[in-house]
Amino acid sequence: MKNQVNKTFWILFFILPGLLIVTIFIIAPLFMSMFNSMYSWVSIDRDRWVGFENFVKIFTKYPYQDRFFNAIGNNVQWFMTTMFVQNTIGLLFGYLLFKRIYGSEIFQRVFFIPVLFSVVAVGFLWGLYLNPNMGVVNRLLNDMGLGQWAMAWLGDEKLATPSIIAVNIWRWVGFPTLVFYAGFNSVPMETVEAAYIDGVGEWRLFWKIMFPLIMPAVTIITVLTLIGSLNVFEQVYTMAGLDGGPFYSTDTLGTLFYRTAFGGIDTGLPEIGIGSAIGVVIYVLTFGISAFSIVALRKREVEL
Amino acid sequence: MIGDLRFRNSGIIGKALIVIFLILMIGYSILVLFPLFNMIISSFKTTREIFKAPYALPEIWKFSNYMEVWNKGGFGGYFFNSIIITSLSIAVVLLFGSMAAFGIARYRYRLSNLVYLIFLAGIMLPLKAAIIPLFLLIRGIGLMNTRLALMLIFTAMSMPATVFILAGFMRTIPGSLEDAARIDGSNDLGIYWRIIMPLTTPSIALVTIYNAVPIWNDFFFPLVFIQSDKLKPLPLGMSVFFGQYQISWHLLFASLSVAILPMLILYLFMSKYFIRGMTAGAIK
Amino acid sequence: MKKNLVICLLVLMAGSMVFAGGSSESDAKEESSSKVELNFWSWRTEDVDIYNELIDIFEAKNPGIEVNFTAYKNTEYNTILSAAIKGGSGPDIIHLRTYGSLETLAKPGYLMPLEDKVPELSGFGETVLLGATSASDGEIYGVPFASQTLVIYYNKAIYAELGLEVPETWDEFLDNLDAVKAAGYTGLANGGKDGWTLEILQGVICPNFYGANDFFNEVVAGDTDFTDDRYRGSLEKLLELRPYMPDNFMGIAYTDMQMLFINEMAAHFIGGSWEAGYFGKENTALDFDVFAGPVAKKGDTRYVSSFADSSFGMSADTQNSKEATAFLRFMASTEAGQFLTDKLTMKSDAPGVVFSDPFLGRVGDLNENNTPYIMLVGFRYDKPTGSELLQSLLQGMMADSINSTEVVSQVQEGVSSWYKPFQD
Repeated sequence: MKNQVNKTFWILFFILPGLLIVTIFIIAPLFMSMFNSMYSWVSIDRDRWVGFENFVKIFTKYPYQDRFFNAIGNNVQWFMTTMFVQNTIGLLFGYLLFKRIYGSEIFQRVFFIPVLFSVVAVGFLWGLYLNPNMGVVNRLLNDMGLGQWAMAWLGDEKLATPSIIAVNIWRWVGFPTLVFYAGFNSVPMETVEAAYIDGVGEWRLFWKIMFPLIMPAVTIITVLTLIGSLNVFEQVYTMAGLDGGPFYSTDTLGTLFYRTAFGGIDTGLPEIGIGSAIGVVIYVLTFGISAFSIVALRKREVEL
Repeated sequence: MIGDLRFRNSGIIGKALIVIFLILMIGYSILVLFPLFNMIISSFKTTREIFKAPYALPEIWKFSNYMEVWNKGGFGGYFFNSIIITSLSIAVVLLFGSMAAFGIARYRYRLSNLVYLIFLAGIMLPLKAAIIPLFLLIRGIGLMNTRLALMLIFTAMSMPATVFILAGFMRTIPGSLEDAARIDGSNDLGIYWRIIMPLTTPSIALVTIYNAVPIWNDFFFPLVFIQSDKLKPLPLGMSVFFGQYQISWHLLFASLSVAILPMLILYLFMSKYFIRGMTAGAIK
Repeated sequence: MKKNLVICLLVLMAGSMVFAGGSSESDAKEESSSKVELNFWSWRTEDVDIYNELIDIFEAKNPGIEVNFTAYKNTEYNTILSAAIKGGSGPDIIHLRTYGSLETLAKPGYLMPLEDKVPELSGFGETVLLGATSASDGEIYGVPFASQTLVIYYNKAIYAELGLEVPETWDEFLDNLDAVKAAGYTGLANGGKDGWTLEILQGVICPNFYGANDFFNEVVAGDTDFTDDRYRGSLEKLLELRPYMPDNFMGIAYTDMQMLFINEMAAHFIGGSWEAGYFGKENTALDFDVFAGPVAKKGDTRYVSSFADSSFGMSADTQNSKEATAFLRFMASTEAGQFLTDKLTMKSDAPGVVFSDPFLGRVGDLNENNTPYIMLVGFRYDKPTGSELLQSLLQGMMADSINSTEVVSQVQEGVSSWYKPFQD
């Protein structure tokens, strides 16, 4: 009996401070904005209760419907590309670092540097480099004789989002690298050594032993990538502007939400009701998909 | 060490792969260092020069850019505010976050998943979305125009990811260590402080940098909640360089170069612990 | 457990009071003098020094009043303002956006009507006041600041070098562009990455092809709509400019455009009258001038689009309405208008202001035939605004993803969802 009370006390002791802060400053405003989404608004003043009308509008009325599904499509593109490019490279680099490849001491420090830049700095710098006429990317391509590959990276509808995703990958690849590196390092040495002594080949060692043992790291990275892809905003904002230009090709749920809720810079007007509704849709989607993935991935976690 | 990637250990294919991987990694490193140097070099140019000759060394090294940036209304004060806000927020996040992660990862109880999901709900909420309710909340508890308000918000913002990452790592620590400690008479707090925390040092270092950077660089929340000039953090101070139609690029680059310095220093410092934690983890 | 919770909350509250108390204490010290403090917010971070100088002049005449000018980043200004006003901590004097954007604050009643308080308003032109008048109740909420005109800048040195003359017709303009391009320069600095620059392009070129004021009045009344061939045809003219734009122009952003013209790599820049100050500052050797958008045939009236840029208004909740009124009356005076005109190279609307700068003089001449900048003036009252639709759709058109028919039909569909005259 005492043990139970004791345990409860300790659990509460550890989780309460953090839980309190998160509840007050995140959960409560979240519910408030869900509340807001059920009303219609006269510019910034709440008007009358409309239930789910705002949600219906998003899914059926022009232009909301077009923009919404266009944006989701882009978010999916973000997730797929980031998952398959960024995280695979991260996995590779993390493993190479674990294997103490030549220069790993230096690499592991250098790889994380892009994370230190502010998003704004990254947006500017790469905006300059991707400039179609003055940017270093196109200049190099021209110098190497690959002139026909020199495009308007951020100006072409088909290339804009991939370019921004590429910049984002540039920025973040150090993160999964280090997380996986840490993950590999927490596998007990005896297991690894035993495998080598048993003559297990590199390929099998990786896929049958190392990878399953870092499932918690895989879960972390997958879920964070998922959430990041659904919520991406600042990178797109700095490189393509709030309107998802050119011609909505870079629009994401994040920029759509911000633009709707707060109005474009000087062209748009705030629509708080519909904006909040989009926000709610984002939360629900993110929460639902993340919860599902966590549960699915947790099952595959192997404890030693 | 066994399994290390070395030329002598590998066959032809192995050697080729090592070379390819090295090229990839060196390539990426160049891709990382080039913008850093480019940003610093640009900070010594005039706005026109930045666009006319972006990659050349400056014609004249305009150190005056830095003087101008420092003098534009108390840059020193902004710097100080950023340091206070960031370090205190990180301290609180690490403390409460690791405690919460511990409470989730090391105990089995029915509600652990629910608590975990509540924290996760925090990651999924783009806090900017709830700016108006948040604003009313802060005003309601009388914290408008205080650095404390920013600290609370930043702490709340960073908590979910911290809990998520730390809990993930804490779960990988074998239960046997904890049992041994209990047998030795340690109470829960002791287990937290003496056993689990030292073993999660690499993830703590990771989480510190992961959270410090967005807090240090954030300008949206200070923009909404801070009105007095003397309480402004750095990014807010820099936003003055963005005009409606004219951007003072040279000043912007100078201030960005200054702004990244503390993060670089923090990072170099943290990476030492990260490495130390790595090697400690290997010898379990 | 409950005890811990209570203790935690108490500590949190006590802590917050210490900090909160800290900041208001120091504020109290500053306010020990009996001056009335007015907070004046704007988005013009470029002009902070000038406004502070102007404020010094005001404060010298009104010793009991102190005005604190704060400029916020343009892109975030609307959000900050809305959040602050809703929370009750908004500024006393507000730099207001015009036309539709004014409604955001005017409709819910957050602004003070000024007609009675600021008699100087009667001296301002009617079209100018339109930007500061609310469409919902017809009240005037702002003291107009300046008007902006949309023009074509050209590099006089390049023109002299190539022996070119200021063009009157469209064909003459294209001939000039050809000559410039043949000489190795970029004809037109404009690009497509920033959608709003395309809207401005439309504002300069199209009015002379869609019938300027005639069309505008018809469209606003609902007698015709955007699918009208006149409007659609005028958009097609923009396509003809593409060969003269920089390579890969869809990737050229606003800043790139400015730099191309400033660095004398492009001969023309189609933009707003606000650029002049910046151009002159960044390259003092740049010899430039402006002309209006070309006409279809010789002799046609040559129109420029113009609009009210912004105005200065007052919060309805201000505690210091007497002092705020005094400040606004000052801002409506010829003295203030003259000061801002001279220092900012902007065309102030205050009555009695004299334009000594030759550039402003030229802009004034061009304005003899002006027409409202169509989307900004007429169609930003609700969402989706005509502007936001046009900006993105023009990007699609200039990139050949859609044609002009698609553009106008989508604009029409979007705007008619809220624009009553289109709904009959």
